[in-house]
Amino acid sequence: MRLVLALDTATSECAVGLGSWPHEIGAEPLVLGEANVSSHRAALTHAVPMITRLVEDCDHVVRDVRVVVAGRGPGSFTGVRIGIATAKGLAQGLGVPLFGVGTLDAIAERFAGREGLVGVVGDAMRREVYPALFRCEGGRVVRLAPDTVCAPAEVAARWANEVREPLLLAGEGLLKYADVFIAVLGERAEVAPPAMWTPTGASLLGAAWRAGGTAAEGGAGMVLPIYTRLSDAEENEAVSDGRAAGLTGSGVAGPRAEGDSR
Amino acid sequence: MTARIRPMRESDLARILDIEASCFPTPWTRGMFVDELAQDASRYWVVADSPWGLLGYAGLMIVEDVGHVMNMAVRDEARGLGLGTSLLSALVDEAEARGLRRLTLEARPSNAAAIALYRSAGFCEAGLRRGYYADSGEDGLVMWTGDFAAPEAVAAARRMRERSRAALEGVRLKRTVPDGDSTSHGDLLLAIETSCDETAASVLCDGREILSSVVASQVDFHRRFGGVVPEIASRKHVEAIVGVVDEALEVAGVGMSDLTALAVTHGPGLVGALVVGLAYAKGLAAATGLPLVGVNHLEGHLFANVLADETVEPPLVALLVSGGHTSLVHVPAWGEYHTLGSTLDDAAGEAFDKVAKALGLGYPGGPVLSKLAAEGDPGAIRFPRAMLHSNNYDFSLSGLKTAVVTYLASERRAGREVDPRDLAASFQAAVIDVQVAKSVRAAKACGVTTFCLGGGVAANAALREALRVALAEEGVRLSVPPLALCTDNAAMIAAAAHFRLWRGETIGLSADAFPDLGLS
Repeated sequence: MRLVLALDTATSECAVGLGSWPHEIGAEPLVLGEANVSSHRAALTHAVPMITRLVEDCDHVVRDVRVVVAGRGPGSFTGVRIGIATAKGLAQGLGVPLFGVGTLDAIAERFAGREGLVGVVGDAMRREVYPALFRCEGGRVVRLAPDTVCAPAEVAARWANEVREPLLLAGEGLLKYADVFIAVLGERAEVAPPAMWTPTGASLLGAAWRAGGTAAEGGAGMVLPIYTRLSDAEENEAVSDGRAAGLTGSGVAGPRAEGDSR
Repeated sequence: MTARIRPMRESDLARILDIEASCFPTPWTRGMFVDELAQDASRYWVVADSPWGLLGYAGLMIVEDVGHVMNMAVRDEARGLGLGTSLLSALVDEAEARGLRRLTLEARPSNAAAIALYRSAGFCEAGLRRGYYADSGEDGLVMWTGDFAAPEAVAAARRMRERSRAALEGVRLKRTVPDGDSTSHGDLLLAIETSCDETAASVLCDGREILSSVVASQVDFHRRFGGVVPEIASRKHVEAIVGVVDEALEVAGVGMSDLTALAVTHGPGLVGALVVGLAYAKGLAAATGLPLVGVNHLEGHLFANVLADETVEPPLVALLVSGGHTSLVHVPAWGEYHTLGSTLDDAAGEAFDKVAKALGLGYPGGPVLSKLAAEGDPGAIRFPRAMLHSNNYDFSLSGLKTAVVTYLASERRAGREVDPRDLAASFQAAVIDVQVAKSVRAAKACGVTTFCLGGGVAANAALREALRVALAEEGVRLSVPPLALCTDNAAMIAAAAHFRLWRGETIGLSADAFPDLGLS
């Protein structure tokens, strides 16, 4: 078995988990322990002490960890970066692989035991949300659309149009916009209790395992945050150029392409 | 880095009293030391000074042809390095120079280490003074040297001088060598710097030897926005950090397991950028179990001077000028900083960049502007010298920037051509005049003979030259690190961390970033 440490700081919750992943084909992973603490704007000071305490509580030492898992967002830009940067330091310091997992996937993972659609609505600030639709089926959680950022009313209208069955809603975007979704989706919408709106250490481990944690691992340098938005400076520049702001790959700024006159 | 022996000054007393209190049950008071220093002719007091502050001191009272060793102490962390020999050697040299015949002292019979040291310096036991030590009632063991006129005494003094020199040169951080690591000589620090728009990492040996210094500049990503975009800076740090650290380790030829400690800039700077380096460094620290040192970026700029020239030592005054900072700092000792003044609005580098932008020189325009200025007439346009005659050490640069922009606009409106070279030279002269005037005044007021320049604007040749000339007239030496150590880098962070680590100052895994951190 391999000891796996998971961390997500993209939401207002700091979530850490310690698990054990089996080598034997067909064997199931274990969650050894988790800690989930409300850390609004305090992830930097909470994350590493939470990790060392959790590992100790599980009677291990950090040096035993063989895989690090980090939530990639989308979420608070600074929050996501704190989690990813911490995980990079851990993975590089230990010389072990780092595995990235979507924060919204880890939230959807909490409903893995149910059947049906789950709409995760992360808080994107600025009157927008990070929406993602998942289908839970036979213990599996399948993502139906890539990460994006959108006005809540627009997402609600799209889902009302696409979805013909009950939809379970979760995510911190509901703190401000639950009413918008209920107004548009009507009786199809069910809002999960707020305690289920954020990822947990266990759900991060589950989502990472489910996403192929046994195979698809990268080096510490390869895993980057999912932003869905460019920086304001680049967004404004795109607007003044009269073109839609677009993201390249991970949403990372880059120099202008050759021939792009300015 | 090395320690050195020099005469004691009254400004040393705060530190001496700390050492005194930690060494003796009945420490000397400040008044006693002040009295000693006042009796110039019949006393000789020296200190062992180092980049990490005072390490010890000793004093001699001279009565006719005999020198009486009054007091001697070495800071706890610096014991066992041979500094006691260095201090005694300095007293012996002085005694010989003054034509004294012998030295004497009293020691506690229970202090075997001290007695062994005195014996090795040529002292022999001569008797006991009953109940000499009032605190314990212990007797005082009286010891005397032989006559300095004897040839064997001269040879002994020479041997002691050699041992002293080796001890002073060998002063370095005391560290616990990891098991099986007998080849490593000094401590190895890995430092990380992400306070603005450079992702940097460096491996530094022993606080002075740069094994690697890797800087990934993001300037290309910020250029088209005319300045540093904090969100882009933060994103780029996350992308670059692992590769930059890998490269720093590889170039240095060391692995994580060879390191003694980790260091990271924890302020001042852009908060979102600082947070990336700090979170990453804490992850590394948790993984490796290495101690983590939090470094003040400005202290790093100061220590860049030590990396460039290890003879640079306080007391000194430093001018720290960059795109983010402009301040004058008095440094009576490493670790003790008094900010005399700083900019009330724009930093000097910022003003250069903004004026360059007004001239259409692009970003970062400071260096281009300085190049233009070299060809222009600094007296062509009379721009204001803000706060030149103010009674403090503060600066204000936004008024000057506005004056330049207004001048440009009015000349263009009038249809007159402005020679950008004259404009650049006149603007630069206005900046430099104020910086130099206040720097010289600060150096004089603080009574220092060393002046350090730090920060990216130190690359400005006109500023360096004007400062050097003006300071030289006052007998003050100017230290300017090479360009690679002036602009943001992690080697300077490692150098400052080496000093902090030596003082046992580490940060915990719950440490936060301090975007507005000052020097104090």
